[in-house]
Amino acid sequence: MRRPARTNPRVDLVLAAACGLTALVCLVLPAPARNTAAAALRTTLVAPLASMQVKAELSRRAFLAHDAALRIVDSVTLRSQRLTGVEEENERLRKLLGLASALKWGFIPAEALQGRGLGDDFTVTLSAGKNAGVESLSPVVTAEGLVGMVERADDSFSLAIFWPHPDFRVSAVAADGSAFGIVTGHRAEGASKYFLELHSVPLRSPLKAGTLVVSSGLGGVYPRGIPIGVVVSEMKTTEGFAKSYLMRPMVSLPDISSVFILTPERARSGVENVWATGTNVDSVRKAIVAAGDSMRIRRDTIAKTPVKRDTLAKPSVKRDTLAKPPVKRDTAAKTPVKPDSSAKTPGKRMP
Amino acid sequence: MSFSRTVSLAVIFLLLVALHYTLQPVLAWRASIDFLVIALLLVAVRTRPGAAALAGFALGLLSDSLTPESFGAGALAMTIVGFGASWLKAAFFADNIALNGVFIFAGKWAFDTIFLLAEHRLQGTNLLVQLLLWSPLAAAATAAAGLVVLLTVRPVLGAPRA
Repeated sequence: MRRPARTNPRVDLVLAAACGLTALVCLVLPAPARNTAAAALRTTLVAPLASMQVKAELSRRAFLAHDAALRIVDSVTLRSQRLTGVEEENERLRKLLGLASALKWGFIPAEALQGRGLGDDFTVTLSAGKNAGVESLSPVVTAEGLVGMVERADDSFSLAIFWPHPDFRVSAVAADGSAFGIVTGHRAEGASKYFLELHSVPLRSPLKAGTLVVSSGLGGVYPRGIPIGVVVSEMKTTEGFAKSYLMRPMVSLPDISSVFILTPERARSGVENVWATGTNVDSVRKAIVAAGDSMRIRRDTIAKTPVKRDTLAKPSVKRDTLAKPPVKRDTAAKTPVKPDSSAKTPGKRMP
Repeated sequence: MSFSRTVSLAVIFLLLVALHYTLQPVLAWRASIDFLVIALLLVAVRTRPGAAALAGFALGLLSDSLTPESFGAGALAMTIVGFGASWLKAAFFADNIALNGVFIFAGKWAFDTIFLLAEHRLQGTNLLVQLLLWSPLAAAATAAAGLVVLLTVRPVLGAPRA
């Protein structure tokens, strides 16, 4: 290993000593003098470096603030999602209130306590039982339509089956009364099991996609007029004497939280106009909106049309016409017989 | 040292100084990398002890200007470290990565020790904790970063003269 070739090591030592001494002097300077010297450096040589340091600090703070802001955004997003859920629940409750006012009597409100165990996808425990007046085979409905029926009623709770349940059957009819059939759950795997099937529809009564199917009232369990589903398409079956249709249910299972249980008396008295009332109310609302629009258009039209003063000032009746006598005096004064004619007869002598 | 190498050394020196005022505040580690010490050692092993001491003094004064309470302490520490590093470079700056790492580690630790003792701000347990815990950690981080810098600039600057 070679030693470095140093020229004038004494110079190096002197330089180092001078630097060290100056540094020591800086250390023992009185505070005002130190501040003055430091300020002089800060405002000249160190200014760009200090500026870079400030920017670096700001960058770091911005980076950290970004994380904090991101957390806040996440929190707000989560809250807004919860708010959406609350709004949806409010909407469902409003619909239920509307259904309650339409039903007026003979229903028991209940909360659906859905199980999460395997095999109980299509059953639900309702928070109302015999003490509240619930009986077995009572229809369970929501504002959208039919949910299922009470299978067993305990004192405080009851067990209901949904429409996808294998035991679910309801006699149904097209809303226009054109075809009858039996609605059951769709026997399929995966998401398709949440569809319905309409069986035993006569060949002479084909149904179009979009046709609303309601309960027919036959069978004594479900009163007539509860919406069940909408026809999606015809199904290929081996039945030669009838048709089957795939239906989309009116009630979505995940949306079921609050339901109404119809009492047997209410079911017997019929609910045919209850869901139709909703339709009527909707029609009336649309009609009112349309009428409002029409009135607004007319008002705007009138406001835009200039009024002709001369036309208004012009009398509708002509005075001259009224003043004109219907009978001409000259004509009346004229005598039909001329006396002078008889008087002026020439004297012809009799022979 | 040729002119081009001198210019390259100056540029790298300035870059390291700039890194000290840009990257270090962003990292904001308790045991932070001291790019000023790396820059000083890089210069010190390539210049005479007097020039290294002068460079250390200048760097120390620059850093002290931002902390007026310890004005002069950094200059003193940098002067000693620069002079010592330049004087010891023949012993340490062979082509040995481990020795270079130890050299940078020792330089940073020595700087911290002189600086803390000179500024008289920390005393007692706090001073011991700083000297025996945080300073070695900072020296280790500086040594690691210094090795990366040395390996990076070696093709440009070449091996230090011995």
